[in-house]
Amino acid sequence: MRYRLEVNGSVHDVDVPRATTLLSVLRDDLGLTGTRFGCGHGKCGACHVLADGQVVASCLVDVEHAVDRKITTIEGVADGDRLHPVQAAFIEVDAMQCGYCTSGMVISAVALLARRPRPSEAEIREAMSANLCRCGVYVRAIAAVKRAAELAPCEPPGVP
Amino acid sequence: MTGVPHGAAPDGRRIEHRIRIEPDGRVLALSGKIEYGQGIRTAMAQLVADELDVPFDHVQVVLGETRLVPWDIGTFGSMSLAVEGRILQLAAAHARRLLVERASRRLDVEPAQLATADGVVRCRRDGRTVRYVDLVAGDPLTGTIPEDATCKAPEARRWIGRAMARVEAHALVTGTARFVADVRLPGMLRGQALRPPLPGARLRELDDRAARLVRGVVTVVRDGDFVAVVAEREQQAAAGIQALDADWDAPRDPEPAGIDVVMLEAGDLAAGFACAAHVLEASYTVPHIANAPIGPSAAVADVQPDRAVVYCGTQRPFALRSEIAAAIGLGELEVDIRPQVTSGTYGRNSCGDAALEAARLSKAVGRPVLVQWSRAEEFALSPHRPEVAIEARAGIDRDGRIVAWRYHELTNPHTAVAMFDPNAARATSGRNAIPLYRLPAARVELHVQPGQVRTGAFRSLAAAPNIFAIESMIDELAAAGGIDPLELRLRHLDDPRMRRLLEAVAERAGWSTRPRGHAGRGYGIACAVYHGTYVAEIADVEVRDDGNIVLRRMFCALDPGLVVNPDGARNQVEGSVQQAASWVLRERLQYRNGRVTTSAWEDYPIATFRDAPDLIDIQFITDGGAPMTGLGEPGCVPMAAAIANAVFSGTGQRLRTLPLSITKSR
Repeated sequence: MRYRLEVNGSVHDVDVPRATTLLSVLRDDLGLTGTRFGCGHGKCGACHVLADGQVVASCLVDVEHAVDRKITTIEGVADGDRLHPVQAAFIEVDAMQCGYCTSGMVISAVALLARRPRPSEAEIREAMSANLCRCGVYVRAIAAVKRAAELAPCEPPGVP
Repeated sequence: MTGVPHGAAPDGRRIEHRIRIEPDGRVLALSGKIEYGQGIRTAMAQLVADELDVPFDHVQVVLGETRLVPWDIGTFGSMSLAVEGRILQLAAAHARRLLVERASRRLDVEPAQLATADGVVRCRRDGRTVRYVDLVAGDPLTGTIPEDATCKAPEARRWIGRAMARVEAHALVTGTARFVADVRLPGMLRGQALRPPLPGARLRELDDRAARLVRGVVTVVRDGDFVAVVAEREQQAAAGIQALDADWDAPRDPEPAGIDVVMLEAGDLAAGFACAAHVLEASYTVPHIANAPIGPSAAVADVQPDRAVVYCGTQRPFALRSEIAAAIGLGELEVDIRPQVTSGTYGRNSCGDAALEAARLSKAVGRPVLVQWSRAEEFALSPHRPEVAIEARAGIDRDGRIVAWRYHELTNPHTAVAMFDPNAARATSGRNAIPLYRLPAARVELHVQPGQVRTGAFRSLAAAPNIFAIESMIDELAAAGGIDPLELRLRHLDDPRMRRLLEAVAERAGWSTRPRGHAGRGYGIACAVYHGTYVAEIADVEVRDDGNIVLRRMFCALDPGLVVNPDGARNQVEGSVQQAASWVLRERLQYRNGRVTTSAWEDYPIATFRDAPDLIDIQFITDGGAPMTGLGEPGCVPMAAAIANAVFSGTGQRLRTLPLSITKSR
C-alpha cells in the first residue's frame, strides 16, 4: 500500500504492507532510527513521537492513521543546529545514562512545555510517567525539564 | 569464561596498542571495555587528555572493537576505570614522556627545558615548538608501558576531577546515536526465531510450507532445534513464525549439579552462641528479577564465507567472538565484533543470544540479518537474577558485642555459564557474603545449584542480596540489644574509611534527630565495601496508611578513591539508587513449571517518574591516596537493607522478603 506522510516538515511517499506501524515506517523506510523500539505495546515511551503536537506511541499507530497528521520525531526537534531547550537542558544536566529512553523523554518534555511553559514538579512527573528509564535518571530528568523551562524564558518552546 | 587471549590479539601492555596519535591530531585510546551508560568513555578521555596534555575533544576512545583493541575479559564488577582507566592513564603518561624525549633530540635541548600542552612540546628557553603529530610521523610510539609511569600531581591536572558532559550526549538528545538495532546494511534482512514451549525442548517435527508462502519471507532456517524465519520486513518474519507448525519433545532432565563452599570459618561458634544474651534466627529471601533493559536484545550480523562482522551490544566482546566463531565455523580472527551504542542491560549483555542468532541466520542466507527480540522474548528467554535464600543465626552478648555469626546462602549460578568451581562460586554467588565486621566466631557457607529459571549476570551479582541479609541482621541485633544501629556498626568496624563514611552519612541525614516511634516515617542505615569502593547509605522512608512504602530521600556517602568525572560519578550512584529502589519495592519475575510467565511491562512494573525520590544526596569522601575503584554498582548494594531497616524503624515491622511489602495493620 502507498501512503503519503508528513514527517519533520517533509513529505514522504512510502509503499509498505497494510498494518505496518508508524514506528516501523520511520525506522525501516525513512531511516529515522532515533525513535526507538522498546516494547511494542505503548508501555515504555521509547517510541514516542509527536502527531499534530500530541505525544503518541508510534509502535501503536497504524501507518494509515498517521496520514494527514504532522509527525515530529526526535530528529525534527532541533531547529537545524540550534538545539531545542529541552535537548540543551538534558545535555547540561547530563540527564541520561545509556540514552535508549532519551529520545522518548525529550519528545514528552517538548510536548509538556508547549502545553505548560512553567510546569510544577508534580506536572513533570505526571507528564513523563509514561517514559520508563531502567538506568534510573528520573531525578536528573526532572531537573532537566525544569531547566528547559528556564532556558526558554520569553516564549513557550514551540513544537517545531 | 574464556581465560587466555590467543591469535594475534594486541598486547594491552604495549603502548602502540593503547595510544595512537593520528596524522590529523586525534588521539585514539584503545580498550576492550564497553560503554553502556556508565560514562567510562568520557572518564577515560579525561584521564588520557590530562596525562598526555592534549585537548579533551581530540581524544577518541575506542571500546571493545575486537580487531583494534587489546583482549579483555569483559565489562563487569565496576572494574573499567579501576583496571583499564588506570592502564590508559599510565599509557598516556608514558607516551608524554616518550614524546618529550623525542622532542629533546629533535630540538637538541634537555627534557627538563621542555613543556607540553595541547598536543605540542615547547622549549621554555627559546619558545620553539614541535607538534606531537610531527614527532610520531612515520614512527609511532612503541614499547612496554611501565607500571610505575609517573602521572601528574593532583594540582597539575586539568581534566581529571572536572565535571564533564558525556561525550555521547549530543548524539543521544538528537536521536543520531546509532544503537545496535539502528544499523542498516545493504540487502539486510530480518530474522526471528521460533521459541520452544519450554527452554531446552527438542524439535521433533517441523512443517514450514505455509510459512514459506508468507509474503516477504525469504527462507526458513532449521539448524538442529533452532528454527527461524528470515524475511524482508520484521512483521513478515513474525507472520512467518505464526505460520510454522512445530512439534516438540520435552527437554531432557538436566544433570544434577551444584556446589557447596565454606566461605569463612573462624573461632568457636558453639562457645560464641553460649555466651550470647540474645540469639536471633532469620530467613531472608530474594526473588528472581529481570535485568529488563528498555531496549530488548538486538544484533546485526554480516557473515561471508571467509569473514563475519557482528554489530551488537555485548559486555564480553572477545568471549562473544569465540562463541560466534565456533557457531559458524570461522576462525576467531575472521570474526569482527563491533559493539554499538547499546541499551543499558546491567549484566544481561554478558550473553550474546541475539548476536549468535543473527550470525547463524546470516550464514544461512548469505546476507546481513538483523535480529530484534520482542519485549516478551526479553522477559521469557533472558538470563535473570538468581533467587537467594539466606538463613542467618547470630548472637549478641550483654555488652553489645556480636559473639557468633552463622550464615548459609542458597542460590543459583550468577554467571551465564554455570561455574561449579569453588573459587568462581566465591567470587560470584558468594560475593559480599562475608561481613565487614569484627566477629570472634563465624561460619559462612554457600550452596549454588541451578533453579528452574535461566540465570546469569545481574548488577553486583550476589552482593546486593547478601548485603540485604547481613545488614538487616545487624539491624535486628541492634534492636535486640537496645543499641543504636549506627553505634553497633561502628563498634565492630576498625577500617577508618568505612567509619568515616558512616559518620559522614549520618551527619548529613540528621541520624541523631531522626524520626522515631513507629509513626510511619523511618530512617534505615546500611553499608558495604564492593570491589574496593566503600559505600554507606541512609534511606528516609514513609509507610503510608495503605501500606505503600515510599522512598522519600536517600543519603549516600562513597569512597571510590580518585573521582575522575564528579558529575558522571554522581549520575552513576543516583541511577544505582533509583534502579535498586525499584528492585526492592516492586520487582518479582513470575514463573511456573520452568517457564517464565512474565511477558510485558504490565506484568512487571518498574519504578517510574512518579516513584523517584525527592532527593538523592551524594557525598564522595576520599583522601586521594587510595587507588581508583568503580561506581557502576556499589550504590545499589546496600539499598535493600537500608529501606527494610527504615521500614522497621518507621513501623516496627521487620521485612525479610523482597520485594518489600507491608502487612496492613488497619
